[in-house]
Amino acid sequence: MQREVGSLPLAPALRARLAAAGFQTAQELLETGPCGLSKEIGISKEEALEALQVVRQECHGDAARTAGGSGTARKFTALELLEEEQAQGFIITFCSALDNILGGGVQLTKITEVCGAPGVGKTQLCMQLAVDVQIPECFGGVAGEAVFIDTEGSFMVDRVVDIAAACVEHCQLIAEAQQEADHLKALETFSLESILSHIYYFRCRDYIELLAQVYLLPEFLSEHSKVRLVVIDGIAFPFRHDFEDLSLRTRLLNGLAQQLIIIANDHKAAVVLTNQMTTRIGQSQSTLVPALGESWGHAATVRLIFHWDNSQRLATLYKSPSQREATVPYHVTPHGFRDVQPPAVTQNAEGTEMNPRKRPRREEEKQ
Amino acid sequence: MAAKKLRRAQLSQELCERLSRCQITTCQDFLCLSLLELMKVTGQSYYEVQKLLCKVSRACAPKMQTAYEMKLRKSVSPSSAFLSTTLHGLDRVLHGGVPCGSLTEITSPPGCGKTQFCIMLSVLATLPVSMGGLDGAVIYIDTESAFSAERLIEIAGNRFPTYFDSDEKVFCMTRSVHLYRELTCCSVLKRIMSLEEEIISKKVKLIIIDSVASVVRKEFDTKLQGNLAERSNFLTRGASVLKYLAEEFSIPVILTNQITTSLSNGPAIQADLVSPADDLSLSE
Repeated sequence: MQREVGSLPLAPALRARLAAAGFQTAQELLETGPCGLSKEIGISKEEALEALQVVRQECHGDAARTAGGSGTARKFTALELLEEEQAQGFIITFCSALDNILGGGVQLTKITEVCGAPGVGKTQLCMQLAVDVQIPECFGGVAGEAVFIDTEGSFMVDRVVDIAAACVEHCQLIAEAQQEADHLKALETFSLESILSHIYYFRCRDYIELLAQVYLLPEFLSEHSKVRLVVIDGIAFPFRHDFEDLSLRTRLLNGLAQQLIIIANDHKAAVVLTNQMTTRIGQSQSTLVPALGESWGHAATVRLIFHWDNSQRLATLYKSPSQREATVPYHVTPHGFRDVQPPAVTQNAEGTEMNPRKRPRREEEKQ
Repeated sequence: MAAKKLRRAQLSQELCERLSRCQITTCQDFLCLSLLELMKVTGQSYYEVQKLLCKVSRACAPKMQTAYEMKLRKSVSPSSAFLSTTLHGLDRVLHGGVPCGSLTEITSPPGCGKTQFCIMLSVLATLPVSMGGLDGAVIYIDTESAFSAERLIEIAGNRFPTYFDSDEKVFCMTRSVHLYRELTCCSVLKRIMSLEEEIISKKVKLIIIDSVASVVRKEFDTKLQGNLAERSNFLTRGASVLKYLAEEFSIPVILTNQITTSLSNGPAIQADLVSPADDLSLSE
């Protein structure tokens, strides 16, 4: 109630008039009433009423916040957060080594960035995740839908069909081995058509379309509340050309990062971005670093760098708040993203990963 | 899309006038401003500005399709998804041939046959669909002056002697191959930008650029300060326009590239084939 007039979300011209007339707190405005306000400032009665309604809404929001109720600024204890994090699902990548170093898979409510040279498998991982997010809960998945924002045009439907078919087959093998009722029921809805129908694809041709799409994303996600994954394939591509003003670019990217963090938190979705690599010329040698500059490095919570070692593809966990840095090899097979060889240790205490390389008869599902 | 004027985004007339007084006329200008700046220039409250932002975004944002719809659309016309190269091994590995609707890059050391391959594909594109072609014209942007019309006719005559049995057919084919000789980066980019209208008017079904690398390497010496940024700027602009053309018209776009050596003392991250666009932006 003691909120200053200057901090209210009113039109700037109106705020200037209120300040000139001497109003200081929201309480004064509410006491004056619409007629008195319109006479004092010289605006119409309707405008005064609108302004007062905005002020009332704001003050109610403030009151709810300070009383500790639900609002946009939530308070938690670390214990509550721990329980929430442990109950949360991960989106598996089907490469158990990669899932291990990530702590179970791609985490929901966090932004994961995948950087790498062209051809190393970033888009393959994105397509794999868009399929894996839809795995039903009884098989260890999060049963969500996916939004795929493509800026480079590298999304191939035929490839997604292959990956989805392999995933469905894999789940069918598990169901046959385990023979549980809810597995078979889940399989009825988990088919190729349903997987493809729940991948929402947007093709953004330049950075303006990307910005516009991210502005519209919260509305889209409220309508499609089952979305648990937002992939932006190629966040770097539209920002790497036609930008003479680099400070504008940094500002737009920061704004984008903020909006994605809000989206990830509010809708309990994982956000996966892919980035390109660029050459940084040093004194004696040049190195490959992720594109978009140093300040963009702060945007993502988890950063994976994909690179080559002769002909073996490697994934390095470069930045993570909870896991150790590690490098693992991976493969891109006709069935999608996979491990290089059957890993030796298969039993994992808390993991919910499936091991795709083991033969069907010995398929075990950890739950 | 970005240059769309605000009055076409269904904003009110007076708002558009007010914004144009502050030099904000296109959607691009509008979306690049922060919320506070927008409040200042429009003179509206916070919530109103958010609604305006959604309105303008809706005018620019792409349409949503599900992957299922995309698959259905593709399966309706499967034959138009690839241009077969008539080399069976290569077609098998590529799952059908050179894909329509995306960029394909051909790289090799000098003398291996890139230009020959491009000339052969030009012939194939002009063939009727029943023979595995695309029944359309070809735009060939040549930066090395390596295209030879005689070779084109030789390939056509020897490869498909039964089809090209009369002079009439040969002339028809050569009339469909439009050759542009561009020798600088600037002219290549200008040519690429002007392709949209040509594709529609001449019914073009294949675009070949031979080669991007030579013109870039001639003009940009990466050892000089600032050249790397300008080079990557040129390449990404060209790439995004070509991608747009490929997707919009569902035609294959073929680019040829050269080989360079990557000399580095540190851990070698690149494999032995590195595109000379060392910033790796063209093949994405």
